[in-house]
Parts: sequence; C-alpha cells; structure tokens
Amino acid sequence: MSDGMNRRRFLKVLGVTGGGATALTGCSTDRVEKLIPYLVPPENEIPGLATYYASTCRECPAGCGLHVRVREGRAVKVEGNPSNPINQGRLCARGQASLQGLYNPDRVRSPMARVPGGGFEPISWDAALTRVAEQLATMPGDQVWFVTGKEAGAFDSLVSDWLAAIGSSNRIVHEPFAYEALRQANRTVFGVDSIPHYDFAAARHLVSFGADFLETWLSPVEQSLGFSSGHSYQSGEMGRYVHIEPRMSMTAMSADEWIAPVPGTEGLLALAMAHVIVRDQPAGVPADASRISSLLAEHTPAAVSARTGVAADVIERLAREFTQHASLAVAGGIGAQHAAADSTAAAVNLLNYVAGNLGRTVTFHTAQSPAGQGSYSGTVELVEAMRSGRVGALFIHGANPVHTSPTGLGLTPALANVGLKVSFARFYDETAMEADLVLPDHDPLEQWNDFEPRPGVHALQQPVMRPVFDTRQTGDVLLSVARQLGERVTRTLAANDYKEYVVGRWQALQRRLGDSRPFEAFWSESLQRGGIWVDEPTRQARLAATAGSVRGEVWSAPAGDQLTLIAYPSPAFFDGRGANRPWLQELPDPVTKVTWSSWIEINPATARRLGIAEGEFIEVTSEHGSVTVPAYLYPGIREDTVAIPIGQGHAAFGRYAENRGANVYHLLAANATGFGAVEHYVGVTLRNTKDHERIAKTEGNSRQMGRGIAQATTLQALANPEEHQEEHGDHAAPVPDHIEEIIDEWQEDQYHEWMQRGNYAREDLPRWAMAVDLSKCTGCSACVTACYAENNIPTVGPDLIRRGREMSWIRIERYFEDGAHGEIESRFLPMICQHCTNAPCEPVCPVFAAYHTPDGLNAQVYNRCVGTRYCSNNCPYKVRYFNWFDHQNEADAAYAWPDPLHWLLNPDVTVRVKGVMEKCTFCVQRIRDKQHQAKLSGDLLVDGDVVPACQQTCPADAIVFGDINDPDSRISQHARDSRGYHVLDGLNTRPAVTYLKKVRNIAEGEA
Amino acid sequence: MATIVQPLQETLPTYNEVTRDVAATLGRPKKGYYVLLGVVLFVLAFGAGALLYQIRMGLGVAGYAPPVLWGVYITTFVFWVGIAHSGTLISAILYLFRSTWRTSVYRTAEAMTVFAVMTAGLFPLIHVGRIWYAYWLFPYPNQRQLWVNFKSPLVWDVFAVSTYFTVSTAFLIVGLIPDLAAIRDVSTGWRKKLYRITALSWQGTDQQWRHYTRAYLYLAALATPLVLSVHSVVSWDFAMSIVPGWHATIFAPYFVAGAIYSGVAMVVTLLVPLRKIFKVERYITTRHFDNLAKLLLLTGLIVGYAYGVEYFMAWYSGNQFERASFWNRAFGEYWWATWTMILCNGVLPIFLFFKKIRRSIPALFVLSLFVNLGMWFERFVIIVVSLSFEYEPYAMGHYTPTWVEWAILLGSFAWFFMWFLLFAKNFPTVSITEVKEITPMPRKRPVQA
Amino acid sequence: MTRRVLLSAGILTAAGALVFILGAPRGAAQGSPQQTGSADTVFEAPEISDTAALEGPRQPIFFRHDVHAGQYEIDCQYCHVNVEISPKPGIPTLSSCMNCHLIVGSGIAEVDSVRAYFNEGRAVEWVEVHVLSQFVHFPHHLHVNAEQDFDVVCEDCHGQVNRMPQIYQFAPLKMGWCLDCHKEKAVETGKPVSTDCSVCHY
Repeated sequence: MSDGMNRRRFLKVLGVTGGGATALTGCSTDRVEKLIPYLVPPENEIPGLATYYASTCRECPAGCGLHVRVREGRAVKVEGNPSNPINQGRLCARGQASLQGLYNPDRVRSPMARVPGGGFEPISWDAALTRVAEQLATMPGDQVWFVTGKEAGAFDSLVSDWLAAIGSSNRIVHEPFAYEALRQANRTVFGVDSIPHYDFAAARHLVSFGADFLETWLSPVEQSLGFSSGHSYQSGEMGRYVHIEPRMSMTAMSADEWIAPVPGTEGLLALAMAHVIVRDQPAGVPADASRISSLLAEHTPAAVSARTGVAADVIERLAREFTQHASLAVAGGIGAQHAAADSTAAAVNLLNYVAGNLGRTVTFHTAQSPAGQGSYSGTVELVEAMRSGRVGALFIHGANPVHTSPTGLGLTPALANVGLKVSFARFYDETAMEADLVLPDHDPLEQWNDFEPRPGVHALQQPVMRPVFDTRQTGDVLLSVARQLGERVTRTLAANDYKEYVVGRWQALQRRLGDSRPFEAFWSESLQRGGIWVDEPTRQARLAATAGSVRGEVWSAPAGDQLTLIAYPSPAFFDGRGANRPWLQELPDPVTKVTWSSWIEINPATARRLGIAEGEFIEVTSEHGSVTVPAYLYPGIREDTVAIPIGQGHAAFGRYAENRGANVYHLLAANATGFGAVEHYVGVTLRNTKDHERIAKTEGNSRQMGRGIAQATTLQALANPEEHQEEHGDHAAPVPDHIEEIIDEWQEDQYHEWMQRGNYAREDLPRWAMAVDLSKCTGCSACVTACYAENNIPTVGPDLIRRGREMSWIRIERYFEDGAHGEIESRFLPMICQHCTNAPCEPVCPVFAAYHTPDGLNAQVYNRCVGTRYCSNNCPYKVRYFNWFDHQNEADAAYAWPDPLHWLLNPDVTVRVKGVMEKCTFCVQRIRDKQHQAKLSGDLLVDGDVVPACQQTCPADAIVFGDINDPDSRISQHARDSRGYHVLDGLNTRPAVTYLKKVRNIAEGEA
Repeated sequence: MATIVQPLQETLPTYNEVTRDVAATLGRPKKGYYVLLGVVLFVLAFGAGALLYQIRMGLGVAGYAPPVLWGVYITTFVFWVGIAHSGTLISAILYLFRSTWRTSVYRTAEAMTVFAVMTAGLFPLIHVGRIWYAYWLFPYPNQRQLWVNFKSPLVWDVFAVSTYFTVSTAFLIVGLIPDLAAIRDVSTGWRKKLYRITALSWQGTDQQWRHYTRAYLYLAALATPLVLSVHSVVSWDFAMSIVPGWHATIFAPYFVAGAIYSGVAMVVTLLVPLRKIFKVERYITTRHFDNLAKLLLLTGLIVGYAYGVEYFMAWYSGNQFERASFWNRAFGEYWWATWTMILCNGVLPIFLFFKKIRRSIPALFVLSLFVNLGMWFERFVIIVVSLSFEYEPYAMGHYTPTWVEWAILLGSFAWFFMWFLLFAKNFPTVSITEVKEITPMPRKRPVQA
Repeated sequence: MTRRVLLSAGILTAAGALVFILGAPRGAAQGSPQQTGSADTVFEAPEISDTAALEGPRQPIFFRHDVHAGQYEIDCQYCHVNVEISPKPGIPTLSSCMNCHLIVGSGIAEVDSVRAYFNEGRAVEWVEVHVLSQFVHFPHHLHVNAEQDFDVVCEDCHGQVNRMPQIYQFAPLKMGWCLDCHKEKAVETGKPVSTDCSVCHY
C-alpha cells in the first residue's frame, strides 16, 4: 500500500509469530508462510496465549472499564472489566465495536496539512508542531480557542492548564448529549449543578419520562444491569416499569406499560402524579413537600388529562403505584429534549422529591459530577466569536461539531474566519475536513490517559499495543508545542510527556486517598485493576428556593398539517461517532431492524392517510431545512408524531459512514433552548417523493402468527398457575408418547456412539446448554456485536442484507403482539443455533460437515462443508448462515476486513471461505481452550469456567451457559425453571437453548 | 402376442422402404440444421459463461435469499430428472407389456432420457457452494478416512441418478446395435467406419438375435423398477425433511406420476417437429400421438389428484405450519406460480378426454408445451414457495432469480438439444428393426394359406 | 508459574551446555556420559560442504539443529520455551540465541550473521516448514505434555531433528496421519483418545 503500512511491515514491527499471520490464509496451505520471531521476548506475552490489559472505553462518556484481549501483540477483542463498578464486566455494542475504531481503515495515518488547492498532504510531526508553535507565538493568547468533547481527567485539566499557560480561557466543551435540561432542572429544584446517581437496582417501581436509559442516557450498561436486577422476574417477584414517551423506544419496549401522551406534555403527568401524592399524603412524603403544593394545585389529574390525552384514572393509578414501593422517576433523555425539557425534568425532580426518593434511589455526590458538562450554547458562543474574528487559532479534539450542530448555526462558514484550525481527529470527519492541520490522536486503546466518569471512579487507560499508524497522543502534542513556545509556557507545564503528567495526577490522588504504599505499588495495582474506585461522600438534597418557580411548561405542538418530529439518539451510533464502524452499521436497529441507513418512523395509520408505503423516500421539511429518508411504518409511535434517529448522514468520516441515510441535524433549530441545548423536537411536513427502495432490514415478518416463538406471561398469571398454562403456548401438535420412546432409545444409542469418539476434560461428558431469560433481555444487541468480534463474522453491506444474507450468528427477533386493550406489545428473542439434541440439520448433511459432538454441540466443520445448504433448509430456526461470497479474500470485492481491519480477526477461529455454511458454535474455541487448560492442570472444569462471548458481554445478564449434565450448575437450574420453554417444541428437536418467558407486571385493572 | 391385430401405419412400407426412409434421416444435413446447431451452441456457451462467473464470484450471484436456499437449480434438476422418465417407461415397460405402438417412438424417447439425465446430473454440481469439492459426495477411500453420510437423501440421489444414467445408456446402446448394422450396410465414408465399430460387427445371425433379444429383455426388466425408484428417491430429498410443504408421504408416487407426465409431454414436443423434418409421418402417426395423449391424460389426472390431496392433508393434519404453508402457496406472494402450475398440469389435461384434441397434432404440441412449463413451475412452487414460508416468521424471505440462474437454465436446454440434434443426425431416431418387426413379411415367397 | 520453572530449567541447561562447549574444543567431542545420555556413541555433526543438496527449504540463517540439538544435546525446550504451555510452539527469540552466542561461536559465519541480525534489531524471516491450514488447530502444549500418558514425543511429528542439518517436513501432517496416531494410541494405552472432528476443526 502507498503508506507501506501492510501486513508484512506490521509483523516486523510487532514480531507476530505464525499464529496471528495465518488468520488470513483461508484454505490455501500452498503459499509460503513466514515466521517472524520477537527479537526480545516482550513482558508477559507468549505466542498463542492471550494477554489481557485493563483499560477504559471511550466510545461514549459513560466510561466503562475494559479488558482488552491481546494476541501476538494485536488487540483482538475487548470485554468489560469485571472489577469496574460501572459496567461490572459487561459492555454495549458500541464498546464492543471500539476495536473497529482502532483498526479502522479510514484512520488518519499520519499528520496531514491542507493543500491550498484543497485536500491534504502528509507532513512530518516536527514540521507540523513548529508550524503550530510559530503561529501561536504570533497571536495574543485570548485568540486561541480549544474545543473538546466531554473529558473528565488528566486530558481535561491538561487542556485547561495549557490554555491558561498561553493566556487563554476559551475552552468549549462540545458534547452533543450533555443533558443540559437535567442539569438545569437540578439547579432549579435542588440548587445543584450536577447529575445524581440513579439506583435502578433499588427501584421496584420505575417511571421514565422519555429517558432512554438502556440506550444512550447517562450510563446505559450500568443502568441495564441495575434495571435487569431491579425489574426482572425473580422467585415470584418483579419490579414494575412504566415508560412515558410519544414514541416506543428500545427502552420503552422493556416497559410493562407504555403511555404515549401528547408530545411534550410528559412533564404535566409528573406534576399531576406529584399533585395526587401530595394530596393523598401517603407514608414517606417529606414534610416540606407542602412547600410546593401551591404550584401543584392547578395540575389536577382531570386538568392534565385534558392536555396530555392520558385518562385521569390512569394518572391516579400511576401516582398510587409510585408510592407503594421504592420508586424512581427519570427524565432528560435526548429523545425528549424539547423546549420544555428542563421544566419536564424539574417536574420529575419534584415527583421524586415528594415520593421521598431523594437519598434513596436518587443520590447526589458532594463532588460535582463530571457527567454531562458543557452545553450547546458554548458552541453558539464559539460561532459568534469566529464570525466576529475573535478566533485566531482553533483546536478541536474529540468532537465533530460540524456534523452534530444544526446546519442553521453556520459553523462551517464561520470556520473560514479562523486563521489556524487544528484538528486532533482520528478520522477524516466533517470537522477535520475543514481543518488546516490534522494531527491524529492515538486511539484510546493506544494511549495513556485517565477518566473519571463519576465521582469516586478513577479509571485508567493504558496502551494495549504499539500504535497502528504514525499518530501521536494529543497530550504529548500539546506539551511539545508548549516546549517550543518556551519558558513562559512550560513554567506551569512541568511534565516532559503526557504519561508523566498522568502519573503526576495519580501521585496526587494517592496522597489524597491517604495511601501510604510506595507509588509504584499503587500505580501497578491500579493499572492491573483498571483504575481505583472509592466511595465519595453523598449529600442530602433539599428543595432550593427556586423550586417554587417550576411551571408546568409544555412543548407547543405544531399547528395545522405539521407533524411532531423527534430526533432521537441512535443506540448504535450514539451521536454519530459510531457510524464508521461496519459492525454497528450492520447491527440491526433494535427497534426497526434496519441496517446501513436511517429512516423516518411513521405510524401505519398516518402513512395510510398520507399515502406512504414502506421504503418510499419521504422529503421531510422543517422551517430550518429538509432531508429525504425512506419511510418505515412503525406501530409504536403516535399518529401525530414521526421520528428520525441521529447519527447517520455523514458527508465525510470514511467509507462506512459516508452518504448513508440523512443527518437529522439539518432539521433542527439553530438557536439554543432556554437551558442552552439543541431542541430535538421540531414541526415537519412530509412529502412523498415516490422514489422507492427496499429497506435493508433483517426482519421478515414482525408477527409470530401464534407460533409461540417469543412467549410471554404476566406476573399475575404466574401467581396462579392454571391460568399460566394457557399463556401463548406453542400451538404445534404435541409429540405422541410412543414416538418419544423411540426417539429416546435412538438418542441413547447416538449418545453412546458419541461417547466412543470423544475425550474431553471430564470423564462423564458435559452437555453444553444455554438459557436466555426474556424478562431480562432488553434487545440491546450487544451480544450480536460481541459475536461478530469473537467469531470473525464478516459484514456484508446493505445490498446483501436486502436479500436476507446477513451473517450475524445471533438474530435478535423483535415481534409485535396486540395487547388486551389494543395497545402494541413488543417482545425480543435472541435466536441462535439451538444445538438441538435431535438436530434436523445433521442427518441431511451428505458429508458429516454438520454433526453432533460428544459434548452435545451441534458442530459445523467448515472445511468439510461442500455447500449443499440442505442443513439450512431443514433448520426450523433458520440459524445457519451461508457464505455467498468470498468475504475472506483480499482480492475479492466482498472482502470484509480491508487492511488493517483484519488485525482484529480472532486467531482461534477459522475464517470461513466462500461456499460454506457457518453458524453459532457456543464459542467452541473457548470451550476447547478451557478443556485444554483443565487437562494440563489436571483438574476438572467447574461451572462458569466457559463463558461464550454473548453471555460475557450481556449488559442485562440475561444469558446463562454451562453443562446441563451437572445438576447443580446454574444452567441446570434455569433449564428447570417453570418459565422455561423451547422454541417450536412440537418439532421434538430437543434444543439445548431454553428460553425463560418474558414476564409483564400489569397494573391492577388491566388484563 | 407378436401377431399384429391392426398395423399402425396407414400405408404399409416394405422392409427396404423402412431402411431407406430411416437412413434418409441421416443424410447430409441442410443449412437449417447447422443454423439450429449454431444457435444451440451459442446459448450453451452463454450458460457456461454464467456458470464460470458464478464459480469465480460465489453463489451470491444467484438470487438466493435466505431462507430460500434452494432455487432455480434444484427446480431444474428435478425437472430434467422427471423428463428422463417417460423414455424408460415407453421403451422398457411398454416393451414388457408388448404394446407394439411404441416401436417407432421409443428410440426418440430413450435418447431423450439419456440426454435429460445428463442434463439433470449437472445441476447438483452447479448448485453446491464449493463445486470443486463436489466429489466428496461420492463414497471413495481417502486419506482423511472420511465416509459419506448414508442417512442423507442427497447421497441417495447420487446413487439413484448415476444408476439410472448407466442403465438407460446401456439400454439405448443395446437397442441401437441392429439398426447401426443396417445403416452401416447402406452408408459410406467415415460414417461407415463409425457404424462398423458401433455395430459391434452385428451380422444378424440367429445366435446374435437370440442373445440380443435376451439382453434387451433383461435390460428392460432391470430398467423398469428404476422408473419408479429414481424419482421416488428424488422426491425424498424433500419428503425426508421437516419443511412444511415438503414433509409428505404422498411425494414418491406424486413425483413419479409427475415425472412420467412431464416426460411424455417432452416426447410429444420433440416428436412433432421431428416427424415433419425427417418426413417419417408414415411411421409416427396420429395413432401414436393418440396413445401418448392417453398416457398424458392418465398421469395428468394423477398429478391433479395429488395436488388436491396435498391441500387436503395440509388441512386434515391440523398442523398450523402445514396449513399456513399451503395457504401461502395459493394466496401468498407466489400465487401466480401456484396457479400457473394448477392450470397447466391440473386443468389442461382435462381436454384430452376429447378424441379430437388427442388426434390434433398442433393442439397436442401446444398442450405439451404448457405441460412442460407447468411441471417446471410445480417444482418451483414445491421448493421455493415452501422454503420462503417456513417455521420462523421473523426469518421469512423473498426469492427472485437473477440473470445468472436464467442463463444457466437456458444453457441446460441448449445442452440437452445439442445432444439431441447430434444424435438425430447420426443415429436412427426411429427403430428400423422394431418397425420391421411389425411390418408384414416381404412377399418373396407365396403366403401359406 | 510453569513458565518461570521452565526458564530457570532452560538457563541451567544453557549453563551446562556452555561449560560443555567451552570445555571441549569444537569437533573433538569427548562428552562425558552424563552429558551425552546414552554413553555408547557420541553424535558428531558432519561438516557440510554442499548445502544445496540438503532437504527442506533454505532458511535466512543456516541454523543447524544437528549441531545444537544433536552434537551439543541442547534440550528442545531450551529454545522452544512456550511449547509446553501454549498451543503455538513459538519461534525462539534472537535474544535466546544470544544467551550463548554472546560468548561462543565467534568466527562461525552463521553465528556472526545472527549477531548482526540481533545488533541491527532486524527480524529473521524463517520459512515455515510445518504448515497447517488455519482451519486445523493443533494444541502443541497438549501433545508435548502427553508424553507421560501416551508416550508422544517431538520426534513423532518432527522427526530426528537432532540429526537434521536443515529442517524439513518429516511427517505428512495430513488428517489421516493424525487419525492413525490417535487410534493407535487409544489401542496402545487403553485410554480414550479423541477422534472427534471438533477437537481440531473449529
């Protein structure tokens, strides 16, 4: 390749031995493989064995802990860090995809300088730094502006120190999802400019006013874990969760009840609930609640019912339920960020307060929470400064304001007035394309850094491998620029390099924590743990004087034929920063199951009224601009509302992101709301362009035709079992007993035959099995991406997906059911290979490529497969995936891992060639690895030793895997659960995967 | 019963006429023949090109859309295997039953059989993902110490089809021997050499005749069960699986009837132009077509009945998946395919009750074309439509063939007709010997009273 | 853990080897019995004039196993350290060459080139001799550790390496050959040896 960064050189650099290198040789053994040994054996790295490094995920501000799996000097998989209090070992899809940021083929591979003609040319680091220093020397300090994303830690303070050193205070934090409304509300109601910690695990009754806490809101993984333990069905009990939002988000799909009020009025419901609580004065209402009774007076259920379209008795009921158990109400989701969002959040604060949740499920730390600093108004201020020529030099790091600001703001034209624009972007994003200098930063996995997602959690980042490209850590760049600027600057910036700067802070931290050990011990221990976690003191929040000023403001819905458009954050792309990761592009949206594009969600009734069919391109026009996106008919949205996800529609940002879907920011108002944020609600009109395109979605049929595939029941039904029997059973005819007997005998023979063949770590062979608790599964799809990462699954792109040729081994099926009262009910079911005992795929394979292993796996021998595809025809679950093209062939158009993306291939898993069938193997490579280790150490496998990638990452802890022959194993207990069922049981395939019915906790009076 | 009640030919030819007329069909080909051959070869080349392209790029260039993982290729495979059947039926079974009208048509039918099997045999290879490993489907000793899975119907297929090919080829060649000798004696040049070799120095001595007739009889006896077995086995590719719409006990008889049905139709399609071009109307008469039409009628009725039974069983089984599958067949997105099949195979044969139509060659020709079409669609419906609507609603899909599949389908027809054209010009398409058997002795000597 | 033990073991062997090498002038091999193991014959690596005639691919450095493993009887695992703990054997690092060759071997052309490689920090690109397809997983650590139970030794697959001037592929490394061994061992030892596909193919 032009930049010479090819595999061979990489091997030279890293001294990869044969193992890693052969990952790409496909089936050809004839080509000469080179073995390149290390010159000197690196610390704790053994060819063929994985090393794990602790670090921190920087894909979003949540700051989850990572364990990075490194093989032969390459990071090949990221997993959650179990000891990290935030994600406790779990990770979301975005976190799993961070590897594709590290190995992205569209990374900026060396410093680049703009050519007068346009475009960029490479420039040496020295030249670039000198150029920056010289320009800075010529301008007054206050002409220098610095834009960063949300930072909390060493880099944050370094930037501030650096700016201060050169005499500037122009620090802008551009974080698209900064939760301005929430912080505003906290200032108003509690007089605290901070974000509290919400305890989802403790909340038995949860009401979300448009907060997508399972997707992007604050800390999704942490909240998923909390929600799953607080809400899911356990031994006869479960929490209750009501979601209030005009649109049924992925989060709302996990709710027991979804209430869709008139857009922008959810705040009134909160006030009405508070009204009822203060009126009825149940136990637990704090004494000073009466202080706000005056402002609540007008918001009677009847009055609010008229404005929200929610029946008064429902409001009464919600209020009653809210005080019956430990409860929690959350608000301030980006998808609900309308002009009155602060008022909504304030109302919810009051609701929490009168229900006595402060200090119980809602706790403020004494230290100001770094979560969600900065605000959009900062960006507005920057643009004004640029217009008026007050910006001489602009540094941009970790933010892409050009893409994530409303077009009307005029950021791009304003940039023209800036003398020196330096971007530290890792990719050529829209903002970097405007820069004069692009000084690529290290990927978070290549750099030293620390991060404090919330008070008391000090997380560390360490380089897990040599830099892939000629990049340099921005901290070091700033320091060397400072050095060039001379003594007047370095006086305050002593550190020689950024690592030293970080270490300096940690020495200070150690002193603060009163840890008396030598620093080396403290440091290395923290590095191994991934950071250090301490309990920060919390404070008792009281109503502030301003609390009384809360008014029930609502977002004024547009008049006439206009519809309300909601721009909501994409669970996969966040604010769009994930759009250049093929794994995330290929990941079906949990709600719509659409891939590689964006869409507009329209209620089928509305679509009928406007004469719109699915896949037709709709020109969406607001007063601020217009975009054209394909229509997706979605029953889970109000008829007067439409929605478009944020994150697509990139003009730059690499081959995977460019020109896919539309950037919804074109539709949004440029001027900041009262609380200084972008308004995500806007009135729009739709015009059907009549152009049509088959939407690239993985969903065939959204109704399960009473086939009992995704089964559900209710808490109330579980209470009295005879009813329980009737719940959505599989209607297929049961198997006659004599057939059962015959099959049992046959199965015995088979099993003995297998026993002859196998010899694994245990004498009595294990039988691997899995259970998925549907009352925990939130459909977040983290397992899907984890599976891609672990098993070298290729991404195929939209055209193939239109033909249903996606390769994902896990299919999160999303079914709709009509509820008892005409409401729509959604169910998720992760469909994977069921590893049937009587697998229909096995007998039909003419060459034994599909066969049963002694330990009960339904194995697929790729290199034996001829590709008759009979197995897939005969698989009732349709979990076998065929390689239609040669995704592993560098020369082929379908090549799925363009250099250096192939470095993330897992060397333990065969990369499949064209023409063979593949499928979920229960991560057999992990099973065998553990069995080998057990054999070497001479002891037996114990329950929990083998953890497949999907279970490892599941943020809801919904997956259990293990040996079902061991009666005490967790999996055995789950398989015996009364909620357990097998999909398509009537076919007598005897799946190894047991699903536990989803449980809805319906309100009294319902069902 | 070798005595002939009523001669099939309206005007009785003499032995010499027979030999002359048939030998005439082998005369120097006219321009039209070469044009036809050229067209066929061009189409074949196109199909071959498409196949090479598919092998290079991967099966993705075909229209497969999971869960539809079998499509046009398997459809066409079953179609051709079906075509193959009537040949053996006419030549072997009717021979055993001594039904004399077969004599002048069986050669064509038999040749058609062999070429149809040759065509069918290509498709399992074309459709596999790694054609270069297709030989793994044969049980042969290998260093890997691996064996094929005899549980798999696909392996049964390998045996069924290869057996059928061997036997029917042998049957065709044996039947040819006396005729080749006859033509050898009248032909000249390189052809004489060719026939001298292929005739295996046949002299027509009594001994040779005795051996010949025995051999022919045994081969006929051997071939007869194959007519039933081969397509039963092919049907089990489907019946043995659990796909709704496939998993049915009626499949074997249903497929065999369908196979003979389509085969006879193809015979008609071939004979009509053939007798015109080769001017053998004297030997292949309306009477023959009448009989073929009756065969069509019979098998057609069986097929129609099978359709009915399928739907009945789907309903009677009470199995929701079967019911849904068949409902989808009739009224789902592929309704047009289903109704084409029912119209062509179920309704049209009814007209054959009328003698007028049975004896009108143009009408028969048109009808046979429709039956061919209908039978192809029958397989398409069974395979594609069933697969597109299986157990897992979320995973249902839509399949539309691509140009590659159409090209290869056309190519297969070209392949078939190429062989047939070459055969028709170089070998007697009407059996000289057997026609002579049913023509009265030449009156050399006075007839005994 | 295992590794540390291994390393120290390796270092001891090295020391032993060193003493031996320094003690005895090259060629004149008067190994004492406890060093040569079987006392009867002491193997002496032949002088090789025509390297082109040797079996196996030509390597960037003409490293002679027959000298190291044969004549000096250096234990395989002194250089191939990871083979007992890792599925991948790993190729010895140049630094482990230098353990000895810092001191010994001066004047030998190949040794000089090793030193050159090391000093210039260049990587040696050895040609892989025993190539397995990527869809076959051969866990070295299991096989090396199977000597106790199943009497499997390196030579079974790699041949008499200590008599090879240049490494060549000794065994066919084909599936049938693997299976034969697995079956034989099961018969010989009476212990189950897996012949299940998914033991190697996944």
